[in-house]
Amino acid sequence: MRAFEFIFRRILTAIFVLIGVSLITFSISHVVPTDTAALYLGSTRARPADLERIRIKLGLDRPLPVQYAIYMKDLVHGDLGDSIATKRPVLQELTDRLSATLELLFFGMFIATLIGVPLGVLSARWQSTWADVFVRIISIVGVSMPAFYLGLLMQIAFFRNLDLFPLSGRVDSNLRFTNPIDPVTSFFLLDTFLTSNWIALKDVFHHLVLPGFTLAAYPIGLIARMNRAAMLEVLGQDYIRTARAYGIRERVITYLYALKNAISPTLTVIGLTVAYALTGTFFVEVIFNWPGLGLFTVRSLLALDYPAIMGMTLLGASGYVLINLIVDLLQMWVDPRIRLK
Amino acid sequence: MKRNLFVLSLLVVLALLVTACGSAATATQAPVASTEAPVAATEAPAAGPVVLKIAYSSTIDTWDPIASFSTEAAYLPNVYETLLKINKPGSAETYTPVLAESWSVSDDYLSYTFNLRSGVNFHDGEPMNAAAVKASIDAVKDHGGAGFIWWSVDNVEVVDDLTVKFNLSTPQPIDLIASSMYAAYIVSPKALEGFAADENFWADGTSYGTGPYMVESYTPDVEVVFTQNTEYWGGWEAGQYEKVVASLVPEATTRQQMLEGGEADLAERLPNENLGAFESDPNYTVMKEPSFFNYMAYFNTLRAPLDDVKVRQALSYAIPYQDIINIGASGLGTQSFGPVPAGVYPWDDSVGQYTYDIEKAKALLTEAGHEGGGFSIRMTYTASNASEEAFAPLIKDSFAQIGVDVTIEALSLGEQLKLGRSGADAQDMTLMLYWPAYADAGADNLWSLFYYTEKPSWNLSYWNSPEYNALWDEASALSGTDFAASKDKYVEAVTLLVEEAPGVFFYDTMAVYVIPNAITGFEYNLNYPFWHFDYYNLRAAK
Repeated sequence: MRAFEFIFRRILTAIFVLIGVSLITFSISHVVPTDTAALYLGSTRARPADLERIRIKLGLDRPLPVQYAIYMKDLVHGDLGDSIATKRPVLQELTDRLSATLELLFFGMFIATLIGVPLGVLSARWQSTWADVFVRIISIVGVSMPAFYLGLLMQIAFFRNLDLFPLSGRVDSNLRFTNPIDPVTSFFLLDTFLTSNWIALKDVFHHLVLPGFTLAAYPIGLIARMNRAAMLEVLGQDYIRTARAYGIRERVITYLYALKNAISPTLTVIGLTVAYALTGTFFVEVIFNWPGLGLFTVRSLLALDYPAIMGMTLLGASGYVLINLIVDLLQMWVDPRIRLK
Repeated sequence: MKRNLFVLSLLVVLALLVTACGSAATATQAPVASTEAPVAATEAPAAGPVVLKIAYSSTIDTWDPIASFSTEAAYLPNVYETLLKINKPGSAETYTPVLAESWSVSDDYLSYTFNLRSGVNFHDGEPMNAAAVKASIDAVKDHGGAGFIWWSVDNVEVVDDLTVKFNLSTPQPIDLIASSMYAAYIVSPKALEGFAADENFWADGTSYGTGPYMVESYTPDVEVVFTQNTEYWGGWEAGQYEKVVASLVPEATTRQQMLEGGEADLAERLPNENLGAFESDPNYTVMKEPSFFNYMAYFNTLRAPLDDVKVRQALSYAIPYQDIINIGASGLGTQSFGPVPAGVYPWDDSVGQYTYDIEKAKALLTEAGHEGGGFSIRMTYTASNASEEAFAPLIKDSFAQIGVDVTIEALSLGEQLKLGRSGADAQDMTLMLYWPAYADAGADNLWSLFYYTEKPSWNLSYWNSPEYNALWDEASALSGTDFAASKDKYVEAVTLLVEEAPGVFFYDTMAVYVIPNAITGFEYNLNYPFWHFDYYNLRAAK
């Protein structure tokens, strides 16, 4: 019952957050000087008569509050408008690219969790040993290395010098002729697996590795540090000492008793990092020419394609709000104390 | 479990170490790595068509061949064709007939008759005939991005199925205009109807032309896949590419790595600072050619003291031209001779240039009654233009030496034009990158940039010279009847223009191509500056 009330309250707040975000983005994108009609016509040398026609068509001749009201009215009807640059519905542009970004995001976060959590445990269990120092160095490097720099290093090392992984893109361009992917879900790993397209699966995986690790670097560092701190705190508690006194093996204590209680704060961090990584993929996408939301957003920003910018901002904000909600719910499930409060 | 954790963490460490070593190694090994640049052919799949892979920087602002007036001209000429094609400067024949087989001009130069190639169909199966030509030209005159190039055409007349006549109000070189890279494509009437019904008709990049390739699929921001038009009237021979995959790659260094690593067979616009590595590599040919583009600036001659020709000349002498080329284009440019880009009609080096001469500039300022300068100038440039951003401060520094204070402002192009059109309230100096819509800088640059009109459009210097206008009018009129005489008049006009200095002419850019020896058939044609790769002519070297 309480969970439902909680969710309801959170969704209400979320709506206000989104309205605020839309208002700010709309104002900024319309105050910045640009020539939207020229962009729509695809040329700065368009004829004045054509520019005027497009201004009227796009409603740019109306007062800003009216334009905002029209935008919000359409938004409620699920219409995010048409992109000025591509002239296709923004909603379609976003959904077309969402799967590419999400696939990269999930892959990156999967790696980050798979590596970050054990590193934290390792570091806490052998505190102050060389292993701990090592893990701490890794996490500091991971957190402080900018994604665009790490991405370039990855490309130089693994593509140019070692030739182990491809440079950029999501799939090899020959693949479409030899082993075309059937987009069942548009998550290529899943699609190729479902259709038993093993050659394509291998190619898709190969393309994911470098951007995946680049994206994972920051979360790995963060998760490892967070988990280490949480583990240390838990390992110092009385019940662990008691468990040790009972002669329970150290491995069981660490993984069964300590990790379970230390995972809750780590979960928050993972959740927040997912939200961060949703926009953090932008750098990674640009470097690896990954056909996701990031590339689209960067291009839209440079062109001041405001319907696209609005759509992306709202999507990002919704993602943040949603992920926060999921994290809170997960915590309630993992930690009964929160449920009781 | 414990062991597994160790293995995992070791792997991570290893990954980071390899990265670190790799980056250190590239500094010294870069040239070695590029000499072994693999060729696409070596990694071609066992099955599948012969594919050409190109890494492009050119954006596609529209797929509409009628509206097109931007960088999509890199792709469109592979899909759409014009009546004629203009050959590169210095060719024996000026034109190559494409959709027209022959053409003639009447004795009074007021009508051009084109005899069309028979048996040509559009990609959608519609026949290419006189009615289709008329419909295309009418559409482009009505709402084409560069429709103004047909201003002299009164009407297009369908004589018979394969004969079409352009009736002019005043003599103009219609053969030249019909070969334009903008506003001259012949498009299927079905597509024109489709666009009339739905303004977003072209969003997905469908093909309705007659060219050798068709758009098979278009994924915005990702790639365009072109496939052979098997019905192409020019026919096909072995060795031509069946498919062309154009990857859209905004990052220049990524394009370079794709080319070097074999993920692309060809790449557009590599970073200028990295050209050295390719020049010393026997697997590549680096070509530096003149281009269509030049950098200039207007002086606002409505504003004192820029209304004084001596002051404008003084400022023209105070421009460090070579430094600007070095900073703005990594040295890949040549100082302009007026607003006509080198090699483009009616360019001529007899029109003169200003040298960088601070003493002369000071002397001229003194002559004009501004000893030691003492005035200030508001200069704007286009914010998104990295070259202008780089060289604008050089002008400020140099003008400071003659006592002229410059404030620099970065604006969007639209804002810059808007401000520039506000007459005496406008900025003093406007930096501009310009190129003609088709291979005639007389009809475009010389008119658009400096022909005085009551209401300014791109002629932002407000320089009102009846003499220049008269010379231009004469030259333009002659261009439809006597090309050589027309050029002489244009040269006279530009000589006057350079003398009076209503603008500064910085440099003409160079087009740089890095072509792997594994590809043959590449030819640079100055007259189609955006059409970098003509897929039909390219072959994989044996």
